[in-house]
Amino acid sequence: MDKSASLQAQYGARIEALVAALKGDDRSAFMGALDDLVHVRKPALMGELRELTVNLQVALDRFRLDSRLADLAEKDIPDAHQRLAHVLKMTDEAAHRTLDLVEQSGPPAERTSNSAAKLLPSWQAFRARKIELRAFHELLKGLDAFLPAVRADAESIRRNLAEVLLTQGYQDLTGQIIRGVMLLVRELETALVDLTRLSRAEDSVSPIGSRSGNSQGHGPVVPGVTQGDVASGQQDVDALLSGLGM
Amino acid sequence: MSKDMKFLVVDDFSTMRRIVKNLLHDLGYQNVTEADDGKTALPVLQAGGIDFLITDWNMPGMPGLDLLKAVRADAKLAKLPVLMLTAEAKREQIIEAAQAGVNGYVIKPFTAETLKEKLEKILGAGAK
Repeated sequence: MDKSASLQAQYGARIEALVAALKGDDRSAFMGALDDLVHVRKPALMGELRELTVNLQVALDRFRLDSRLADLAEKDIPDAHQRLAHVLKMTDEAAHRTLDLVEQSGPPAERTSNSAAKLLPSWQAFRARKIELRAFHELLKGLDAFLPAVRADAESIRRNLAEVLLTQGYQDLTGQIIRGVMLLVRELETALVDLTRLSRAEDSVSPIGSRSGNSQGHGPVVPGVTQGDVASGQQDVDALLSGLGM
Repeated sequence: MSKDMKFLVVDDFSTMRRIVKNLLHDLGYQNVTEADDGKTALPVLQAGGIDFLITDWNMPGMPGLDLLKAVRADAKLAKLPVLMLTAEAKREQIIEAAQAGVNGYVIKPFTAETLKEKLEKILGAGAK
């Protein structure tokens, strides 16, 4: 369609009416013609405005997403890497500590078993009243040595078992760290899904939550990752609490 | 302090609950109940009969700090001895727990000796 003809058809009569009203100094006719003109122009303006708003929204969403993704890529992912390395180290140490304790418990258990096996025939002969005097003295001597040795060996095994028990605490500590990394992976997944959606200019972006505050807890200290003022150990905690009057 | 006293151990990790339960057994306390977060612990506490609460901090559902606050806000439980046994080691958190009325704070990983010492200290203070 010829553009000038179209303009003429769309605005010609209205402008003429407007000019005529202006020349005639007819206020109400002038305003009427002006309203008429604005009315013709309005749908086009609204359309442009709507398009601008949508573009702005998409740009803002993308900016928010981009900066969160940049955070994830630059900080959270390397942090997660460090956290998992720490988990690896803790599980390695716990497994070795447990194996050490099991290995240490073998010899005393074996010693006890061997000593008992050695004493058993004489003891059975004694119980059957078939023991010779010399063998009886040997048995008494053997029992004198056996009882305190068993006591010491059993005590060392018990200590090792208690230590094995405590060492299993690694599961709690590493589990907390792994949970944190799982949260991060889920967040990354959400951000990537949103990015895909934005690229298709479909749904709006779901808000990315950030975890903050003490109430929920932060999990175990991870060297090189945990920020802020952290107690270095139980003594530090005790000192802090006694400073608070506890 | 009586060896018959009843403990409630609250931790979302069952391994840690077993560890604490075993350590308490070693110390002569046989009466130990478990819960896996504050939400499940609170009704147990409110039902009565618990003499000592040992709780973790970081738990899904209701964290230990919120449990501690709920305990202190409940007239019937307000004086219950509470020991926090947690990996949370930020100074501000320890102060927050102290302000919320915790009786002892042990950070993980811990030793059997530390747990024993803190328990005895809290029970000794309560007996005075």
